[in-house]
Amino acid sequence: MSRRVNPICIDDFMNRQLTERTDILECAWHKRQQEDGGHSEDEETKHRDGHARGDLEEEEYLAPPAPRVKTFSIGDDWKTRERSPNEFEHISRWRALTVYLSWVTLIMFAYVREFLRNWGLETSHIKIELGKQKHFVPLFNDFEAVYQRNCYVRVRDVFERPIGSTPGAKVSLLDRYTEDGGWTFKFPGTQTEVINVGSYNYLGFAQNKGPCADAASTKINDEGLATCSTVHENGRSISQARLEALVAKFLGVNDAICFSMGFATNSMNAPCLVDKHSLIISDQYNHASLILGCRLSGASTKVFKHNDMKSLEKILRDAIAYGNPKTYRPYKKILIIVEGIYSMEGSISNLPGIIELKKKYGAYLYLDEAHSIGAMGRSGRGVVEYWGCDPNDVDILMGTFTKSFGSAGGYIAGSKKVIDHLRVASPTGYYSSPMSPPIAEQIYKSMSIIMGFDGTNDGEARIERLARNSRYFRLRLKQLGYIVYGSNDSPVVPVLIYYPTMCGFYGRQMLARGIGVVVVSFPATDMTEARVRFCVSAAHTKEQLDTVLNAMKEVGRETWCSSFSSHKQLYEKMKIEW
Amino acid sequence: MFATLLGIFGEASTLHYALETFLIAAVTFLYFRRREVKDSRVKLTEKQKDELIAEWKPEPLVPDTPQDHPVLNPRFIDGKMTKYVKIEGKEYLNMVTSNFLGFVGEQRIEDVAKKTIFKYGVGSCGPRGFYGTVDVHLDLEKELAQFFGCEEAVLYSYGFATIASAIPAYAKRGDVIFVDKGVNFAIQKGLQASRARVEWFEHNDMEDLERLLELQAEKDKRDSVKAGKTRRFMVVEGIYANSGEICPLQKLMEFKWQHKVRIFIDESYSFGVLGKTGRGKL
Ligand SMILES: Cc1ncc(COP(=O)(O)O)c(C=O)c1O
Repeated sequence: MSRRVNPICIDDFMNRQLTERTDILECAWHKRQQEDGGHSEDEETKHRDGHARGDLEEEEYLAPPAPRVKTFSIGDDWKTRERSPNEFEHISRWRALTVYLSWVTLIMFAYVREFLRNWGLETSHIKIELGKQKHFVPLFNDFEAVYQRNCYVRVRDVFERPIGSTPGAKVSLLDRYTEDGGWTFKFPGTQTEVINVGSYNYLGFAQNKGPCADAASTKINDEGLATCSTVHENGRSISQARLEALVAKFLGVNDAICFSMGFATNSMNAPCLVDKHSLIISDQYNHASLILGCRLSGASTKVFKHNDMKSLEKILRDAIAYGNPKTYRPYKKILIIVEGIYSMEGSISNLPGIIELKKKYGAYLYLDEAHSIGAMGRSGRGVVEYWGCDPNDVDILMGTFTKSFGSAGGYIAGSKKVIDHLRVASPTGYYSSPMSPPIAEQIYKSMSIIMGFDGTNDGEARIERLARNSRYFRLRLKQLGYIVYGSNDSPVVPVLIYYPTMCGFYGRQMLARGIGVVVVSFPATDMTEARVRFCVSAAHTKEQLDTVLNAMKEVGRETWCSSFSSHKQLYEKMKIEW
Repeated sequence: MFATLLGIFGEASTLHYALETFLIAAVTFLYFRRREVKDSRVKLTEKQKDELIAEWKPEPLVPDTPQDHPVLNPRFIDGKMTKYVKIEGKEYLNMVTSNFLGFVGEQRIEDVAKKTIFKYGVGSCGPRGFYGTVDVHLDLEKELAQFFGCEEAVLYSYGFATIASAIPAYAKRGDVIFVDKGVNFAIQKGLQASRARVEWFEHNDMEDLERLLELQAEKDKRDSVKAGKTRRFMVVEGIYANSGEICPLQKLMEFKWQHKVRIFIDESYSFGVLGKTGRGKL
């Protein structure tokens, strides 16, 4: 089911209001386009904004975009089972309205407290500027600061929890407490071990022992910790060159290039591929790094509805037919940018559909596999393998090593021509340092394990465990009555709790039950769609997942979040096997 | 949190009703408001579009790269980048690395790094907000802040991205940034991402900077409302990566106080190098 767009206008209104007041990347996105001479806006969707402007028919939203998909067939051998479609269940308008009410209340109270503080009626813990700088123009603009000071700070204890161990299946959190409502934290020096369902440790390679850690440590003896030089000035180490060759082989393409940060891989390389005469068509829910890449490239940008092939095709057709509205010339090239698994939605992009459209209209495709590489497909080769597509049909395969590989950095893979161009033209080559050798070695080793080069079936077993865990965990959550977005095959599991105020509650209650979760709300998600996000890992045991599920059941009973789903009866009698 | 809010409501019932009525009225109003859509473009029919699409020839994604480009034929250095390096078996004196204090290959540092791997693993598997902050990060931040005598410090995982994200974090649209013409590429990207107005002054030319600051002061006099909202920044480097020149910080600090301009200083090259204790230009 494609994502239905919330038809109520308040959504649009609130988003507009917020967008005008913030400069957060996801929101600031659309502003520039409006200013830059207002190229056509109709039926275009904003990033992080569920509201489409045109009066599109309901059927259009509901059209199933994914081909070759059948629903659940539990109990089959997981290798032969069918792919699950993305699901986005929606709550009623009235419920959405109550969510807005909660926002309005929250913001009103924020202003009331601001007022009280200004008049000295409430003790203020706000960080103030140095006395001698107080005549400077204030650093932070009003709305953002009010939001931070009054909404974020109050639930700050559920975010940025520092850890004191490997982020594996379990993680030790540093205990901390606050005496001033979240402004500062004190650390008594103790740690609590909790089940970790927040880290992107999909294949369980975040380990402090075993072959990867050993290899990384040995590499320090051979090549040191850093090369202290840029890539072009003799900085590209042997270990990085070796890694690049392995990545290309793993993905089944000609060549690959690695960078030392995933975020910068997107934001610095997108500008090498397109210029101001080109068009970027970007998915509504693309990651901030891709949005920054689009912005830095100077190309025109249009946004299509999340994973909606009709919306993509319409934009493609119009873009080619009408050309660039600023110059009245045809675009020189069109680049479609999508992700493999969307990190906040848990949905898997419809790659076959996109490849078909890309071929039909002669566009190019940039696929960010940050969350899917290693985690999807029978042998961990990402969504390309999951869908059975040819990797050579994707022009740019991008991914990061921070997730499944338990390391750091990012890669771009593709044809030799593309990679040669990036090697020469990418600014990161001239100005930034290459990967640290032990970090490259961790990736090399974990990738070899996934590929089975270590002579064991460890890699295969991890991938299978992850697939079983994800499916089991997702279906059980649905059985509890929660609304879970995305496909049942995806290890990213967003559970909708809607109310922004629920975030703090869930974060704290789950921690009290020994579980570390990630809660997110605006601006990382739509306003009405605060959620708890779980990242399932191959390192989790079934017992650990059951503990998490039990906790979710208890907390769900205390709130009304586990009664939202109207599909509960579908799962009630289902026997869910691990 | 919601519960406490409701609690507050319960106590003051008059306030409660007044507020609630207002909220519901406001929300209902917005709820039923529709935005009209307008479209002024010439409409093409689907058939016309098909023809145009058939005609359209995209350019190749990337141009050809000459295969003899030095970057495509690199030479690899065996082992560590210490004082002498080995390339293809031959030993050379190393003059390319910016490892000014010669810490590469230092046994004590490498031992600590190894211990860290065996305690925490290699990657943190998450952003800072979601279980990606390790206690080592907090310790280092504290130590850095102490070293520089600042209130706080924040770490980034990639040097290149640090300044490029720090600038847009503070400088927004409508603000003004005074920048030296000789700044490095990362700073330029940060300026671009911030979308503030950028005023370039000649490299290390304080008179030129003064001229620009005075121009700005005049503008401010004319429009004092806008001036009250325009944050202003200067961006310079301690030692310029491109030219190796040192910035005249004293003069810049004078300007800072005189014109109330905040200052960013990129000390990538001067940190640990200049000053008696390596605290850079400060
Ligand atoms: C889709 C996507 N791309 C890129 C990145 C950035 O990767 P890194 O954390 O390695 O900088 C992320 C990280 O969250 C991501 O989700």
